[in-house]
Amino acid sequence: MSTTPTGGDLPEDAGHRLAELGAGLFTSDLSVNEFLLVKEAGFHPLGFVMGSSIYHTGVQLRKFSTSQELTKLTEAMYHARELAMTRMEEEADQLGADGVVGVRLDVNYYEWGSDAAEFIAMGTAVRAESGESFRNAQGKPFTSDLSGQDFWTLMQTGHVPRGLVMGTCVYHIAHRGLGQALGTMGQNVELPNFTQALYEARELAMTRMQDEATELNATGIVGVRLEEKTHQWGSHTIEFLAIGTAVERTGEGVTLPRPTTIISLDN
Amino acid sequence: MAFLDAPKPPTGAPVTSDLSIDETLLLHSIGWVPVDLVNGVSVYAVPAGVWVWSQGEIAWATEAHQRAVAAAVARLRRECEHVGGSGVVGVEVTIEVHPHHVDVEVVGTAVRPAVSTDAGRAKHRGPLPEVFVSDLSARDFVLLHASGWAPLGLAFGTSFVNVPRRSASTALQQRTQNVELANFTNALYSAREAAMARMQETALHVGASGVVAVHVSEGPLAFAHHVVQFSAWGTAVTLVADQHQRISPELVLSLDDRVVTFDARSLRRR
Repeated sequence: MSTTPTGGDLPEDAGHRLAELGAGLFTSDLSVNEFLLVKEAGFHPLGFVMGSSIYHTGVQLRKFSTSQELTKLTEAMYHARELAMTRMEEEADQLGADGVVGVRLDVNYYEWGSDAAEFIAMGTAVRAESGESFRNAQGKPFTSDLSGQDFWTLMQTGHVPRGLVMGTCVYHIAHRGLGQALGTMGQNVELPNFTQALYEARELAMTRMQDEATELNATGIVGVRLEEKTHQWGSHTIEFLAIGTAVERTGEGVTLPRPTTIISLDN
Repeated sequence: MAFLDAPKPPTGAPVTSDLSIDETLLLHSIGWVPVDLVNGVSVYAVPAGVWVWSQGEIAWATEAHQRAVAAAVARLRRECEHVGGSGVVGVEVTIEVHPHHVDVEVVGTAVRPAVSTDAGRAKHRGPLPEVFVSDLSARDFVLLHASGWAPLGLAFGTSFVNVPRRSASTALQQRTQNVELANFTNALYSAREAAMARMQETALHVGASGVVAVHVSEGPLAFAHHVVQFSAWGTAVTLVADQHQRISPELVLSLDDRVVTFDARSLRRR
């Protein structure tokens, strides 16, 4: 996608708080479990970082009987998420973080007005206690939607997270004509136009996600989720969002001990 | 607040707590016991009209909100002292913002070290100054304790900001565009910065070195769409041991068909 937001566009009020965080106080939305596991992995939390953008999505005409990607809406979803993510990364960068763990990327529809939504990214900025740099190929702090538990486990297997990668595609799936609908009435039959459209949209989203991972020199993507949402566009218009954490193998061998098998007696 | 001036309950009175059996056992494992269920409530009036006639941060509403929380937590502390607790865990925070008032209710379980003498308790509690308040579960309290950390108090911050409206021509022009609504984004940012800064101040005030499990609630108010609210709260913690104690987790794989393991999240209160 061509919609890369410009850097350094944090709204003016950001930043006062971050200066305060240098004074030996950290904030974090990690639970106590996650906090202890992040410490266990050799990282210390620095601050709760967030980025948000309230975004108005444009309008694009859809043809009733044509399956197609709605590029304007795809661009909107990309741009708004990038704005939120970039702002969060900038905050982490200001704190001198190596990365952001437990990133949540949400879309909130409140009473902002019609077609407007809040895109928000939040997570906890962390820094390695060893002083080693964990920044990614682009020199930015890594981002990851892995929980503290998953982060610790991942680090034990000789992998490091490189970035939260995503691909999105807003797709309009054609309606069936009356003739088609009548023709299949009472039959067991696949509806190839629907199947085809869903496949194509999903492929587009997945490919875009993989492209982002390739840019980060990642060797894999873990914890991929595929979400299908209609947001406020009504039926037949669906956003396919593929999102996961790109990881890179850095160490040989797994330091994770063999798990003990248990049978729990409670029930 | 007549209750707070009532005579102290006799020692040996039955213990009330909303802790589960597991949590009570965990507390016992580190030598602490539940004392009583304690709560704090505060209803604060918001002057009429503040939601409509204001620009930028709505100081009246913000102040009312901050004070309501502070008052409720102060009452919780006093009640905890009254029943002889050293701190309150598992505090459930309920906040409702209405056009004319802000309601805050905090409920939790007072806990104390099991040793009976005051001197023994002081020794057991270590360097912690006064009664602590924490919205972490008893389970999280035990975990923190085991790794050398201790909760100090609730860190809380809020802010209400009025969003400037777009002019009719701008709104019309933007109707079909992909565009960021800068007025909303900026208002949300200033609300957030103010709220987070206040939360950090309350944490620094109690001498914390960190705030864990921060919750945020944000968005426009239901009764005033052009006012955005941002609230953040979490538990201020500090390292009381000489250094962080590693927890060295072990890996387990459950062989149950239907996996019934102890799920940490089931104990979280929200």
